[in-house]
Amino acid sequence: MANINLDTIKDRTFDAIVIGSGASGGWAAKEFAEKGLKTLVLERGRNVEHVKDYPTTNMYPYEFDHRLETTYADKQANPIANRCYAYKEDSQHFFVKDNEHPYIQEKDFDWIRGYQVGGKSLLWARQTQRWSEYDFQGPQRDGFAVDWPIRYGDISPWYSYVERFVGISGNKDGIDTLPDGEFLPAFPLNAVEDHFKKSVQSKFKDRYIISARCAHLSKPEPIHIEQGRVKCQNRILCQRGCPFGGYFSSNASTIPWALKTGNLTLRPHSVVHSVIYDDKLNKAVGVKVVDTESLEELEFYAKVIFVNAATLNTNLILLNSKSARFPNGLGNDNGLLGKYVAFHNYTARISAEYDGLLEYRTDGRNPAGGGYIPNFRNVHKQETAFLRGWAAAFGASRTNVQDRSGAGIDLKNSLLDNSKWGNWNVHSHMMAETIPKENNSVWLDSEKIDKWGVPLLHISIDYAPDDWQRRADYYDQMTAMYEEAGFTNIKTSDDPRRPGNDIHEMGGVRMGHDSKTSLLNKWNQLHLCQNVYVTDGACMTSTGTQNPTLTYMALTARAVDHAVRSLAKGEI
Amino acid sequence: MKESKINRRAALRTMLYIAGGTLVLPACFRESGSKTIGLKNLTISEQQELILGEIVETLIPVSDTPGAKDLLLHLFVLNMVDDCHGPEDQKVFTDGLKAFSVMLDKPSGKTFMELSTERRLLFLINLQDQNVEEVKTFYSITRNRCIQGYMNSKTVMTDMKKYELIPGRYNAYYKVG
Repeated sequence: MANINLDTIKDRTFDAIVIGSGASGGWAAKEFAEKGLKTLVLERGRNVEHVKDYPTTNMYPYEFDHRLETTYADKQANPIANRCYAYKEDSQHFFVKDNEHPYIQEKDFDWIRGYQVGGKSLLWARQTQRWSEYDFQGPQRDGFAVDWPIRYGDISPWYSYVERFVGISGNKDGIDTLPDGEFLPAFPLNAVEDHFKKSVQSKFKDRYIISARCAHLSKPEPIHIEQGRVKCQNRILCQRGCPFGGYFSSNASTIPWALKTGNLTLRPHSVVHSVIYDDKLNKAVGVKVVDTESLEELEFYAKVIFVNAATLNTNLILLNSKSARFPNGLGNDNGLLGKYVAFHNYTARISAEYDGLLEYRTDGRNPAGGGYIPNFRNVHKQETAFLRGWAAAFGASRTNVQDRSGAGIDLKNSLLDNSKWGNWNVHSHMMAETIPKENNSVWLDSEKIDKWGVPLLHISIDYAPDDWQRRADYYDQMTAMYEEAGFTNIKTSDDPRRPGNDIHEMGGVRMGHDSKTSLLNKWNQLHLCQNVYVTDGACMTSTGTQNPTLTYMALTARAVDHAVRSLAKGEI
Repeated sequence: MKESKINRRAALRTMLYIAGGTLVLPACFRESGSKTIGLKNLTISEQQELILGEIVETLIPVSDTPGAKDLLLHLFVLNMVDDCHGPEDQKVFTDGLKAFSVMLDKPSGKTFMELSTERRLLFLINLQDQNVEEVKTFYSITRNRCIQGYMNSKTVMTDMKKYELIPGRYNAYYKVG
């Protein structure tokens, strides 16, 4: 019997454990497995195998009972999930249902989650921009949060490393606020997007409209073909999972790549309860897991542990990792764990019409979505009443117009008329930086637990007055730029979305220079427990204005490299 | 035997895709006089279903291409109202349908069902001047869902508007005309 016990402990011992299989966890898995480490990936949800588990991917709109609408009953049962733009009849099986995984909203917060192998990498908007030196300098220059312990030069080679494998479409635009990367050909701007670009760039200093950079294979390289991925087919049905692997997801890319090495063990249905800290060895030795099917408690062991459970669940796991040494959560001597959570403010839109360039329209579909306006506010010096700035999406489109009034054969003929095209519709939405604030925080309930015995998470995160100043500036500046371009019928509209609905929650386990003011060091190790790394959104010291996933992936590859070197040197 | 059963089932499924609802069975499949089957929330009589069929057919009539009844859009409307609208909408819809059934055409004193095809069209067009709120709401829901069902039907998406599942291209400067 004793032998069997020993054997199972051996079976449950790995070189590295990665918690989570989304964009950052998938990268940790790939890097560890490629470097020859026996790696265990723990995923709380079910397995989703590339192509095989994309049940709706090849369905026509008329094959959906409700033509992609979710039902009234579903909206009543899952108001949080239903508020996500990507949650529709074709994708709802990849989202967490509200009642299955409750949390406590101290303030309105939409926690959008995808519990399955691949996590939200199946569902993301695939926009990928590098941070610039200005973003990393922000907190220090402007005196908020804490100074980032890294600068652009530290991460730049890792951006390149990740971009080559992921496949990023974009132009080398030569803009210092949004550094160029290793690009596949960009998806082009259309006639009116180009018109706006020229108008803005000729009238406004340091303002640019570029082709949105995105994780789509516009022209695959051999490294992408080797992953089994081929050219993006412009379907824009990405949230169903892509049978071509045309966009990057863990499922299409890093997870199968890691599996091919023979070094990866992928364990779905495994909720991580906590990281196990050994008070004698002064380090983490493994993780405690609840199998969601058998409800059995299991322990797994490894020399190094990467926590990539997605921002708020990473906070939750660390807060729940209590020991005699760390009674308030792993590495949390300073009490800052779960605090200074921030997000992106997406609450503003501006639309207009343009009646020029009517000799053009578009044909096919653009997976990049159109243009991107990098932040130009407060870059070189403080110039407004608010700190930092905003980026924006920008796009122009034309649609067939039909007269839908009336009835009878006239209505029918009008509906079938493909010949009339309306004016161009132009649209933009804001993606503003928010300032991390101590009271924007998460903590564990002292009594309530979920069905796996894990405490429920309290979430208390809200907008602040400076968020509305940034929004007012976005409206002012965009209106001026629209007017300059000759757009008409300009309409601003507040988007009443709640925090969390941007799905860019970041922080709570922030990086910094020291263990007094931060949780993680410049290599993403917990200052006080250095064989535990956090490289998902939880590590972010500030938010920038960029879509953050590319940065998480680059930080992950960099951190794994550090971990493997540290293991070899016996440092962790 | 087994094979023919599968074929029949496949044929039925294809037909229901056209209808847009695997949950609603067309009237001709059921015992005459029975209530509509397959609806979870709405109570619709066979007569009301027939009226709805004539309304959608008046909106989008058969010509050299299929009309609304061919495409079973009245059943699509019912399926959507049953599943995607809340209880308030559903009540107004059924109340409005009831009131619509007994409304009389001004000059002739006939109900919608007693009118000729041309008069039915006028009857619907004149509805917007009516001041019976539930009828207007009922008609508006029916109309919008009928147009949605038509534009998203296999027939229109395959033969007329040519929806592309896999475009494989993006032309940013496409010349119009």
